[in-house]
Amino acid sequence: MEFLTPMIGLYAAAAAVPMLLLLYFLKLKRREVLVSSTLLWKRAVQDLQVNAPFQKLRRNLLLLLQLLALAAILLALTGPMLALRRGPGQRYVLLIDRSASMNATDVKPTRLDVAKKQAKAFVESMRGSSALSWRDQSDHAMVIAFDRRAGVVCSFTSDKRQLMTRIDAIEPGDGGSRLVEAVTVARAFAQSTGVEVAGGTSGKSAQLILFSDGRIADLDGVVVAADELVFHRIGDAGDNVGITAMSARRSYERPEEVEVFAAIENFGSEPVTRDVQLSISGNVHAVRSVTVPACEKETEDRPFRPGQTALNWSLSHGEAGVLQVRQLGADALACDDAAWSVLDPPRRLSILLVTQGNPVLESALKACPIATLDPCTPAGFDALDPVAFAARQQYDVVVLDNHVPAHLPPCRYLIFGSPPAGIDVNSPRGLENQLVVDWRAQHPVLQYVNLTNLFAARSYRLELPRDAEVLAEFNESPAVALLHRRDGTFLLVGFDVLQSNWPFEPSFVLFCYNALSYLGAQAGGQHQRERAVGEPITVENVSGGAVVTVICPSGARVDVKADPGGVVRFPGTHRVGVYAVETADQPRQFHAVNLLDSQESRIEPRSQIELSGVTIAAQEQEVQRANVPLWPLLTLAALMFVCIEWLAYNLKMRI
Amino acid sequence: MPTTRPTTRKLSELLDPKFMARLDSLDLLSRKILQGKLQGERRSKRRGRSVEFADHRPYVVGDDLRFVDWNIYGRLEQLFLKLFLEEQDLTVHLLVDASASMGMGEPAKGFFAKRLAAALGYVTLANNNRLTISLFGDGIRAQLPNMRGRNYLPQMAEMLLATECDGLSDFEKACRDVETGRIGSGVTIVISDFFFKQGYESALRQLIGARYDLYVIQILSPQEISPELAGDLKLLDIEDADAAEITVSSALIKYYKRNLAAYCDELRNFCTNRGAVYVQANSADSVETLVLNYLRRIQLLR
Repeated sequence: MEFLTPMIGLYAAAAAVPMLLLLYFLKLKRREVLVSSTLLWKRAVQDLQVNAPFQKLRRNLLLLLQLLALAAILLALTGPMLALRRGPGQRYVLLIDRSASMNATDVKPTRLDVAKKQAKAFVESMRGSSALSWRDQSDHAMVIAFDRRAGVVCSFTSDKRQLMTRIDAIEPGDGGSRLVEAVTVARAFAQSTGVEVAGGTSGKSAQLILFSDGRIADLDGVVVAADELVFHRIGDAGDNVGITAMSARRSYERPEEVEVFAAIENFGSEPVTRDVQLSISGNVHAVRSVTVPACEKETEDRPFRPGQTALNWSLSHGEAGVLQVRQLGADALACDDAAWSVLDPPRRLSILLVTQGNPVLESALKACPIATLDPCTPAGFDALDPVAFAARQQYDVVVLDNHVPAHLPPCRYLIFGSPPAGIDVNSPRGLENQLVVDWRAQHPVLQYVNLTNLFAARSYRLELPRDAEVLAEFNESPAVALLHRRDGTFLLVGFDVLQSNWPFEPSFVLFCYNALSYLGAQAGGQHQRERAVGEPITVENVSGGAVVTVICPSGARVDVKADPGGVVRFPGTHRVGVYAVETADQPRQFHAVNLLDSQESRIEPRSQIELSGVTIAAQEQEVQRANVPLWPLLTLAALMFVCIEWLAYNLKMRI
Repeated sequence: MPTTRPTTRKLSELLDPKFMARLDSLDLLSRKILQGKLQGERRSKRRGRSVEFADHRPYVVGDDLRFVDWNIYGRLEQLFLKLFLEEQDLTVHLLVDASASMGMGEPAKGFFAKRLAAALGYVTLANNNRLTISLFGDGIRAQLPNMRGRNYLPQMAEMLLATECDGLSDFEKACRDVETGRIGSGVTIVISDFFFKQGYESALRQLIGARYDLYVIQILSPQEISPELAGDLKLLDIEDADAAEITVSSALIKYYKRNLAAYCDELRNFCTNRGAVYVQANSADSVETLVLNYLRRIQLLR
């Protein structure tokens, strides 16, 4: 036996035991009363004492009992401990779904709150370690909250209070739901805590308890035994209307105009009419009323299809802004009722043309809708400071005409002729009399471009790395290739245009137009501004070590430090909305985080989930408290008995 | 007038006038005198006093013919003897306990005892009997010997009212003193609570004699009869400050009452065995009821 706090017990004993003895042996303070004569009273006392021989003994017995009680308390104060081997009881892993569909309010307050409540009830009903039985085994539990990723909320413990606190701290999110990672993590943790018994790890595998509505995307990939997983279904209704697709693009020809596309889906069994509102930077631009048909239930022939309606708007907005498409009308799930898109200000491209003089190329480029075309000599280009060039970002596309530059600042390049060094492209020798044999007409760069008659008298043989995209081929070597490197995007044309008949072809101008459009769109990077929930926000070109502030849709401000490479990563995009990034020297950037997930918007809970090979039905009953500890009641009863006994003692003393 | 008014007020503190009026019609009796005295054998020791006629007694053979009342014979043709006042001369000794224990009680036993003594004294003096009243504590504390006649009423009242109930009690010494000073015949009345630690038996034995009737009136207060105490107490005897530590319980009270009853019974038996009369009174009762009804019933008063 060990004693945790022996000194406290000793001090308390030194104080309490003498006091108890003193109390007993000191005379009791009695109230003095005058009587006419004590003659008869003394006789009465003698009679009483004679007839009650146990009085004295009773006094001593009481003293003994009180000493024993005092000794028990003092011993308890010294914190005695008995070291025993105690193995764990049953182990449970609670998997709590915190995806977007769990924010539905069809069960009050939200499905996630109900799941947390059921999980807490389950924790309470676990067999706890009892102080009175020594060899008993207590249950251990672990909590994992998952949406697209799985996060361990609390690792294996039998401390109920810690489990409850951690379960309460689970925050809702707007991500999708993936179960495979959660099960993998659960299994990994479950394996490692086994006590080594002779012959292997402790026998029972942990039981997985899933609290979810069943709307999980990757159920096919989950492999569990039939009784290993218990599924508690959360949620009732399935009616929901949500926006499942949205995009906003500036037209390339007329950059002031914006085309907005949105798809709204109805997952209920009745058609609904909703108002859909488009607003720009907070100002309502248009409201349209649409009727969305009812969904088609799943049958044997066809799968489930929600009722869908598409919406288009064309509007003209010459500035940057944040577009919001919102479906008005309350339904169970709120996070899919709006989608955002960040609009860059319209810009035409500014092109840097590095050439020694190529009027054909110049005129072809000028025919494209660009803002500025700056010609530059090769020598002048080499003289530019690459770091300053990258920082200024003055040009969207750099066109290199038969020039191998000394250094390549990060940018988008349209390269005619010999490929530059440093991008893993070799050009060992030249070729002659090459004819285009094939090209990828579906690629945006070659849209409407007909390269049938393209003949190059002299060209370069291109040896491309494996990740390069070949867009057009000569018979012996690639002719046009697209390459992405850290330094930028490179569209390589392996021959000098003046050595070919391309300028006479109408496809040349179209090619230049497409190339600039494609590379310019890369420069705009619009698609980088829209993310799904959970994808991190990256901001580049920040001075290394600087601190930027990210303002979340809820209003919270988070400070993130840039890494030495000048890149800021903010991974906390758990909720939908517009995130604003503030840096010291750049204007505020907006990033939109949308749900846009048809799977999540379909919130109807499943009554059984089909994992790979195993179908698990939802539990019929809610988790309720099963094991009620009785010792508080017994202690209360004991306290009452003590009070009654004290009362009886006092009554006996009175007349 | 100025002298009588304060003293009249004093007596009226003990006896109210209506009660006094009723007392006027009472007289004390001594059984010993009325029983078996041969007529004429007792000679009056007092010479020079007028012999006054007091009462008649039927003639018995052997009586002295000188004392036959011939008027009654002439009228009724029956022989009656005349009895003379001297022969009816009672001496009453009132012994009142004025120790500290008599001061206790609610209502106070002492005051009850004084009122009772005043009533008996009034009857005695109103009927021209001789009265000696003694208040005792530790021995005789105050005494008015050989009073006769109503003139002594104020003095009696004053002594009774002036003496506070205080001090220890030495009953034996008081009884001895009274006995030695006792002359003639009559009635001795002891008024006390009889809580004497030294005992009362030897003392009372001294008071019992051939010529004096002994009346023992024990006065108890309601608090002594049914004590209402509770808790852990230290009882202090008011006289000798003796302490008794008790823890009140129903069993203790039961034993106390039993002891009290036994004590009183013992006293009663002692008295009865020796021809004395025992009376127990509660200080909460009215003196009037005790005097007018009960004492007449036991033939102390007539």
